[in-house]
Amino acid sequence: MILEIDNVELNFNSKRILSGIYLKAETGRVVGILGSNGCGKTSLLNIIFGNIQPKYKLVRIDKKPVLKPLYLTKLVKYLPQHTFLPNLKLPSIFKLFHVDWEDFILHFPAFSKYKKTKINRLSVGEQRIVEIYLILKSNSEIVLLDEPFSHISPLQIEKIKQLISIEKLEKIIIITDHLYSHIIETSDEIYLLKNGCSKKIDKLNELEDYKYLSKGSLT
Amino acid sequence: MQQLMSIMAFYRSYVLWSFFINIFIVIVNPNIFAAIATKLLLTIFLWYLVNETSAKRKLVFYKNLGISTFKLFSVLFFVDILITITFLLLIKEFI
Repeated sequence: MILEIDNVELNFNSKRILSGIYLKAETGRVVGILGSNGCGKTSLLNIIFGNIQPKYKLVRIDKKPVLKPLYLTKLVKYLPQHTFLPNLKLPSIFKLFHVDWEDFILHFPAFSKYKKTKINRLSVGEQRIVEIYLILKSNSEIVLLDEPFSHISPLQIEKIKQLISIEKLEKIIIITDHLYSHIIETSDEIYLLKNGCSKKIDKLNELEDYKYLSKGSLT
Repeated sequence: MQQLMSIMAFYRSYVLWSFFINIFIVIVNPNIFAAIATKLLLTIFLWYLVNETSAKRKLVFYKNLGISTFKLFSVLFFVDILITITFLLLIKEFI
């Protein structure tokens, strides 16, 4: 499957946030989006998901335009920056997403004590791990991850990166985070958002040239 | 079924409020059409409230399961109306 997003124009009041965006993602490859604060990374993921209706956009799957919000096709799962799960017991949430609780415990044994616990009783970091796991493992073709590495301890980040590398074999994964080193390591392709436009990064030192990173950051 | 279960999880947060409103309707005017109109207005108000507050973030959960905001509130309204009518009919038997 190939997902393309093109011709995006998004304005908030009179301020132009995005224009001149082109992004292509395909099954088996992780696409990383980098950019400074307020450059429109989250807005772009929301536009792809169908949560925000911009002035213009064109989303295509295998060259065919998708005119309704992508989430209505049930092809996509989206991890937002904020917690989003309802306050239910963990196994109930897993049931709603059709994800195996026991399989989750195999990956994250420390969570076995939470079998009868409601999600709001967990720490923010623990909630985040549950959310990332559900989004990555549930049945979908496209996964959008907004800041999946925030609030997560280094050891758990490594586990999540392993999960991403497994899930990408059957899915399109688009990921954004300010922890750029993890994005660089995880992604097969990188796009930089700057001045409302997207720029495909072919060589990592372009991130310094475009002043996303300071000189010498990558050495 | 998965979608209905998710919508019921959303309804759970408001079921107590709905029950108090049912009691208020019984006291003021236990007419079924008046109850439907009241519940419709309250559902629209709830929709507005969710859209204008941080509660809007929680809608991502339902969208991830393929449930649009319109579908969520429509099903919520019909489930609530079903419970309200049953409640009113039961109460009328005892009045």
